[in-house]
Amino acid sequence: MLARLIPVSLALALLQVSLRFKDDGDLARRLKARDGGAMRELYDRYGRLVYSLILRMVRNSAAAEDLVQETFLRVWNRIQAFDQERGALGPWVVTVARNRAIDYLRSADGKMSAAALELDQLEHPGRFCDFEDRALSLDRARRIKAAFEKLTPHQKTVVELAYYEGLSQTEMAERMQQPLGTVKTWVRSALKALREQLTEAAAV
Amino acid sequence: MTCEDLRDSYELYALGVLEGEEKREVEAHLARNCAACEKYLKDALGVNALMLSQAQEVVPPSRLRRRVLSSVGQQRAGWEWVAALAAACSLIVALWLGVEKRITDRELANARATLQQTVGERDRLEQAVTFLNQPETRQVNFGQGQPAPPRGNFFLNPRMGVLLIASNLPALPAGKTYEMWVIPKGGAPQPAGLFQSGPQGTAMHILTGAVDSNVTLAVTVEPESGSPAPTSNVLFAAGF
Repeated sequence: MLARLIPVSLALALLQVSLRFKDDGDLARRLKARDGGAMRELYDRYGRLVYSLILRMVRNSAAAEDLVQETFLRVWNRIQAFDQERGALGPWVVTVARNRAIDYLRSADGKMSAAALELDQLEHPGRFCDFEDRALSLDRARRIKAAFEKLTPHQKTVVELAYYEGLSQTEMAERMQQPLGTVKTWVRSALKALREQLTEAAAV
Repeated sequence: MTCEDLRDSYELYALGVLEGEEKREVEAHLARNCAACEKYLKDALGVNALMLSQAQEVVPPSRLRRRVLSSVGQQRAGWEWVAALAAACSLIVALWLGVEKRITDRELANARATLQQTVGERDRLEQAVTFLNQPETRQVNFGQGQPAPPRGNFFLNPRMGVLLIASNLPALPAGKTYEMWVIPKGGAPQPAGLFQSGPQGTAMHILTGAVDSNVTLAVTVEPESGSPAPTSNVLFAAGF
């Protein structure tokens, strides 16, 4: 089990994605105006990232294609609530994609889904605004990747389980057959390490 | 709990996996519009987005792009033209095939009718030749010496019937036909079949079945459906 999870695909040679394009605001405005070609541009910016993330999570290409379509359709349908002046399009799109895959995994497990409503609220486009300009930079993405690679195997596993499988700490403890307190310690220390790496970067 | 105590919970909260007391605490802080907690949540959303953007890059199939754009009605016009063109071509081909089929069917029906007609003529000629070859067949001609007469021969075979071969027949008015009569001695004329003339005024008519050997044969012009008794003057006649 752990062997499957630990060497997960964070080992990117180079980060090839960016979460913030400088004219995302303009793109969001055009999406809201239902401008012809705006969706094409959105897909060309984020389609590969969304597909890679979802495929990584559901490990089934047919399901991944369905969920990518669902993701972009949801963005299209909810863009009116997005603030193009203050919003960060990339993080919102990625979060919507992740939550579609989590919904899929949970429903496949038969765990439908009071949590679906909660995810729905957590991905509200209004939350994804007022990020600092540097918050989503390529440099920070590299730093967080490096920080992740320094984590212990247990820490990596719990991070994976939270981000890519949507497990709560109680569920992680059951999955890993470890005491809940131990799992919480791993989670806390792992997230702190990731966050501090970014904080250090900001302080430089 | 203080805001700082919850510092490590916001990533999990934003991922939707926080539970129990910790979750309620985070929600309570956010509900108070606590500035520190708002910032922590914002930071957590940033961390999460950066983490989620690090999946190993996989190139999606090109059909997925078309599918996504189609679902919001922004597929390229070019593809619609291709589809429309393909549909139009299919329609043209289908219509052409339909017309071709109708033409072929009609030609086939004409050929079949011609063949049936030819086969019918052949059978009639064979029947006539057989009739003429029989030793008991007797012949009588008519129309000889008249100025512009229908001319020809009646052949009578008491066992087989009567064969009429005629020429110089006048063109028939519309709705009319020739009718042959068998007139026994001292009896009324019996209908003996309808026939038409060919384009050159010729005709061949056969009455099959036994016929008395002492009869008179006659032809009149009658309505198209034939008559039970003659309704016009005799056009020509001959007696055996």
